[in-house]
Amino acid sequence: MHDATQSRLLRWAALVLLIQSTILTISPAVRERTWNVDFRLSHWLGFFVWLVLMNFAHRSTTQQLPERDPYLLPAAGLLSGWGLLTIWRLDETFGLRQTVWLAVSVIVFISALYLPKNLVFLRRYKYVLLSGGLLITALTLFFGTNPLGVGPHLWLGCCGVYFQPSEPLKLLLVIYLSAYLADRASIRLSSLPLLVPTLVVTGVALLLLLVQRDLGTASIFVSIFTIIIFLATGKRRVLLSVIFFLALALAVGYFFIDIIHVRVEAWLDPWADPSGQSYQIIQSLLAIANGGTIGRGLGIGSPLLVPVAISDFIFAAIAEETGLAGTMGLLALIWLILARGMITALHSADRFRRYLAAGVVAYLGIQSVLIIGGNLRLLPLTGVTLPFVSYGGSSLLTSFIALVILLIISNMEDSEPAALPNPKPYIFLAGLLALGFAALAFASVWWSVVRGPDLLNRTDNPRRSIADRYVLRGELLDRNNQPINITEGASGTYNRVYVYPDLAPISGYTHPIYGQAGLEATLDDYLRGLQGNPASLIWWDHLLYGTPPPGLNVRLSIDLALQTEADHLLDGRVGSVILMNAQTGEILVMASHPTYDPNKLDNEGDALAADESAPLINRAAQGLYPIGTALLPLMRAEFGDTQPTEIAMNEFHQKLGLHQAPLINMPVSFDTDNQSAKDIKVSPLQLSLAAAVLSHQGIQPVPRIAMAVETPEQGWVVLAAESQPVELIQPRAANEAASSFIVEGKPYWSHSGMAVVDKNPITWLLAGTLPDWGGTPLVLVIALEESNVSLAEHIGNSVLDLALNQ
Amino acid sequence: MSGPIVLVLRLITSFALYAFLGWALFFLWREVQRQGQSLANRRVPGISITVKHADDTPILKHFAQPEITLGRDPGCDIPLMDDTVSTRHAQLTYHHTQWWLEDLASMNGTILNDAPVTMPTVITSGDEILCGSTRLTIALSPNVVIEPTLRLEKHE
Repeated sequence: MHDATQSRLLRWAALVLLIQSTILTISPAVRERTWNVDFRLSHWLGFFVWLVLMNFAHRSTTQQLPERDPYLLPAAGLLSGWGLLTIWRLDETFGLRQTVWLAVSVIVFISALYLPKNLVFLRRYKYVLLSGGLLITALTLFFGTNPLGVGPHLWLGCCGVYFQPSEPLKLLLVIYLSAYLADRASIRLSSLPLLVPTLVVTGVALLLLLVQRDLGTASIFVSIFTIIIFLATGKRRVLLSVIFFLALALAVGYFFIDIIHVRVEAWLDPWADPSGQSYQIIQSLLAIANGGTIGRGLGIGSPLLVPVAISDFIFAAIAEETGLAGTMGLLALIWLILARGMITALHSADRFRRYLAAGVVAYLGIQSVLIIGGNLRLLPLTGVTLPFVSYGGSSLLTSFIALVILLIISNMEDSEPAALPNPKPYIFLAGLLALGFAALAFASVWWSVVRGPDLLNRTDNPRRSIADRYVLRGELLDRNNQPINITEGASGTYNRVYVYPDLAPISGYTHPIYGQAGLEATLDDYLRGLQGNPASLIWWDHLLYGTPPPGLNVRLSIDLALQTEADHLLDGRVGSVILMNAQTGEILVMASHPTYDPNKLDNEGDALAADESAPLINRAAQGLYPIGTALLPLMRAEFGDTQPTEIAMNEFHQKLGLHQAPLINMPVSFDTDNQSAKDIKVSPLQLSLAAAVLSHQGIQPVPRIAMAVETPEQGWVVLAAESQPVELIQPRAANEAASSFIVEGKPYWSHSGMAVVDKNPITWLLAGTLPDWGGTPLVLVIALEESNVSLAEHIGNSVLDLALNQ
Repeated sequence: MSGPIVLVLRLITSFALYAFLGWALFFLWREVQRQGQSLANRRVPGISITVKHADDTPILKHFAQPEITLGRDPGCDIPLMDDTVSTRHAQLTYHHTQWWLEDLASMNGTILNDAPVTMPTVITSGDEILCGSTRLTIALSPNVVIEPTLRLEKHE
């Protein structure tokens, strides 16, 4: 019966891992959405080694331990195989190493089955074992290294093989304490015999904490010690006093020990410093959120974004790729081991084996709760491994030795359980672990389902820019469908190419490090496919690939022929040009200089941000200049030749919209401080909207730059303006004012004005078609950061002449 | 196309994982069921007790249950009309294929073959138990103890 149960469960475990391996093999095809990819195959080595090892483990346990607990080996086997595949997925080198370690661990496991079943040797050599463990751990103080090069020096290593002695030391402590306490008939709290182990444990814990900065192992040490003493004495005050001391130590450490301070700060408020101290925990939560309900599928998520995903954060990696379904299953598997372990402890034939089994359960349980809780921000982060799952030879080997101890104790052939004078501590410990696991389950639901969608929309979620490499981003086109910003390359290496880089201050950029700017930012939802696509398609693509659907092309109102001319004329100057359709508000030209080349952002990004001439700013919409005498034609239309009062001027500015942001889907600025008519600063965009009134019968248009979006189902769909045009000035007055600024021999009016800001002169030029112009009414605004009326007039005439002769 | 295939595989993984856990729960339930059945199948060998209080006529009682209580309480299996006997004085239990006598912290104690009972003690035919002034003589039935039928399932 036992054998049938164990083999049935092992077969299901193998099926889980078989499908996981298959998914990992196909995963590149899913990421790149094509079958023409290199499939991942190397991890099958890990899977088959696991299969062979588990087969041997199953056979030898049925032979050696006929009455063992049949749930422990399958649960531990599934956990270790799951961890193994996850490590292969994260890093193939470490996957291969973990496979070797798994083989070593299972061989040790099988050899241990042939040792005497009563475990007397462990009891007899308790001092040798513990002092050996302590000695080797002490060596790390002098010869310790870290395989990663940085971090605490907890490993002993030679020739590429590293071992962390503090891992087996935890188990040796359990063995020592069990034997020590079982050798004494009755344990009283005040008795002298308790003094020795207490001093040893406290000393080792303090040493680990202060010298090695290993918060996790130190707290596990103290917890294991407390729980075994609690089990032996049954006094709850042992537990309470140690909890009190741990809290006290945490409080003291918070103020005096930097590593504790940092960890607690990052735990209490991770959002305060998401890219610094709490980077790990935020990335862990983002990974868990990205997993959702059923996960992205092995190989399809981005768990490598979380630092040390193979060991400390393997739970987050598993959560991202198998989702809530996977994490609940993982918690249930660990809980199965712990629950069967507790039952084994209660059924043990003598006190030594009972303490030993319960101690092993406490060790596995506490370590799991600590690290999973740390991943889920339920507890402060402690760098310990997840038993059976995490990468690490010492951890895996220790876990399998713990497993074989439990299995041997559970193998009771007709022997009666030893008398249990006080069952309360065991019930209490089981309840405590159950409570911990329930809390972990709730936290998993919270981060992956309840808070998940919010978290994924955070701008510091790197998965957005990863998705950009795999999903085609929509193109930005000019009004004649000439490309401006396009995406090139194949899936996996998609790259944004800026075909007309001079437009960069307006069209902006999208970059994995520098984020997004300009129209690339404001139109991101369309370009990324999150808007304009059917909701069902967006949902389906997120379910299948974890990415948005392919993006939509957006057509701008920009006319590249005219834009090129404006950029050519403005080259080497500081200023901006806007040419707008006075009737529809469509922006035909928007030039801002100096400009930059977003294709070179990789190398020049930091220099651009620090550049004093501010090339990143769109001077046409975000540059604010004093108005000076630029508004003269409009004042003539409104007030005639009379000089308006300050209040009347202010009202006029209000009417022209100079105190508000223009209603357009792009980054704009407006003067929020100066409410007085004299000092108000305006952007060229605001002024061009005001000047449009003179060229179109006193009616102010609504500005537009994004004209239409190309949807897969309906073709080009026009993006409506955000408001209605308004008549601001009597048409006759507007027409008369425009006519009084007519340019000799041209079909347009023009006015240049001057202003001064901080002793720097500003040259304004306003121009527009005359009211009787038969074609499209146009309005033009130029702002130059120099005193140069003739240049402004030259640019204005050239652009207008070209536009009118098209 | 790879997306939907992998979606199906992802669902199957979750299914297989929970099938593992489901089977584990099922086996655990079967274990409970089996233990219950094996305990229910356990046969208790009959026990005959001769009760003699002072000069009354001895009364012979037969029992086929695993727990027999003695005391002044009328709810006891062997009610003893004796002022020197406590309300719940002692009990006989059958486990580990033996009948055991246990004193239930009685006022005047229980004497087994002239020795006071301080811990659960195995009894056998012919043993004499003294509770207060009541004397009980044990006679175990000769019928063979039926071992519990533990192994119901076939081995693989």
